[in-house]
Amino acid sequence: MGKVPALRLLALLTIVETRLLILNADPVFQDRTLNIVDSMDNVECRIVRSMGEAVTVLLAENFDIFLVEGETAMALDQATNARQHFPSLCIVCLAPLSHRPELITKAEQQKIPLLATDRSTRYLEGQLRRIVRSVGTQSGTPSEGVDPCHSLIGNLNQFSAAEILQMSCLSQRSGRFTFKSGRGNSEIYLQHGSIRHAIFDSLEGEAAVAEIFRWRQGRFFFEEGIISRVQTVDRPWAHLLIDNLQKLDETLELVNF
Amino acid sequence: MIDPQLETQLRLLTLQVESWKKLHDLITYGLDKAKPIISSEQERQFTEIRSHLLQETEHIFTELDVLELSGKAMNVLQRAASIRGVRELPNDEVRRLEAEWNGVFTKLGLAQGQLKSRRKHLADQSPFKYYLNRFLKRPVAAH
Repeated sequence: MGKVPALRLLALLTIVETRLLILNADPVFQDRTLNIVDSMDNVECRIVRSMGEAVTVLLAENFDIFLVEGETAMALDQATNARQHFPSLCIVCLAPLSHRPELITKAEQQKIPLLATDRSTRYLEGQLRRIVRSVGTQSGTPSEGVDPCHSLIGNLNQFSAAEILQMSCLSQRSGRFTFKSGRGNSEIYLQHGSIRHAIFDSLEGEAAVAEIFRWRQGRFFFEEGIISRVQTVDRPWAHLLIDNLQKLDETLELVNF
Repeated sequence: MIDPQLETQLRLLTLQVESWKKLHDLITYGLDKAKPIISSEQERQFTEIRSHLLQETEHIFTELDVLELSGKAMNVLQRAASIRGVRELPNDEVRRLEAEWNGVFTKLGLAQGQLKSRRKHLADQSPFKYYLNRFLKRPVAAH
């Protein structure tokens, strides 16, 4: 009897869908990877043909993995470009890699796994399944954890993180903002209207603030008076705001790329 | 249970429907007299979508066994050479274009629905149950 809840939990864990966005300029005729993805259970995939389309979709929806497939140099360029604008996203590059060891180093620097499409289907399938499994175990629905005594509670659909932070900084608040979304949880600590510390997943400081800026879905709450002893952000809020809005504009420019 | 062939057909169909929708959006824009400006970017997008459709239509229709649609699809693609060209078409040509686009889109939509229904049906079955059902439903061979 004791095993039943455990089995139910296991069943729930296994039906969590992994969302894949695939960038492939010729998905009808270059469909080897797509065929492999089709045969995977609990994977929902969306195909786009251009980088501009991919950026539009990535800004509007949450995806667990972004697969970039194509000719080697171009695919790696596109993946690197995406890495600059979506630092926490799992990006995988699929390209023919024979005799291109320099590209492997370049991809490693950007934390982009490179899969060789000029190897056997079995190898490719094994690698893709491993990546999907590893991401699948990390993803999950965000926990609510909202306490009625939090001084500010809301939804990122209505107010963006930038708006909320600007309001709090202008009113010289000190405390902790917690953001919860499908991508995970993140925290931003304020002290007398300045951002002192930010953390999201493995990102800290300004990189974490930049990531949270892009979130359009999820919930947030503010707890007054919680101060971080760690300081990872030392620039004024206005500078961060301008830099991040500029970066967001650059991301939006990619839509016309 | 997942049928790889069904998944491939559904993927091809989704891509094709998506392209036909985009083409329609741009044709509609071209025909809207309230929107006088047609940018070179829009013309580029239009040509891009046309090029995808011209390359892929024949292959996808063969895979899906709806080759009878090929004629209508080619008529649409030939008539709609550019957004500006569509704007300058006479009224009866525009009506014909819309009717033919609608014919292709309706048929593809129906096929998509049928494939999704098959996928849903298969998802409820295990491979064992599926093959057992097929085996049990097989007519007895006459001796």
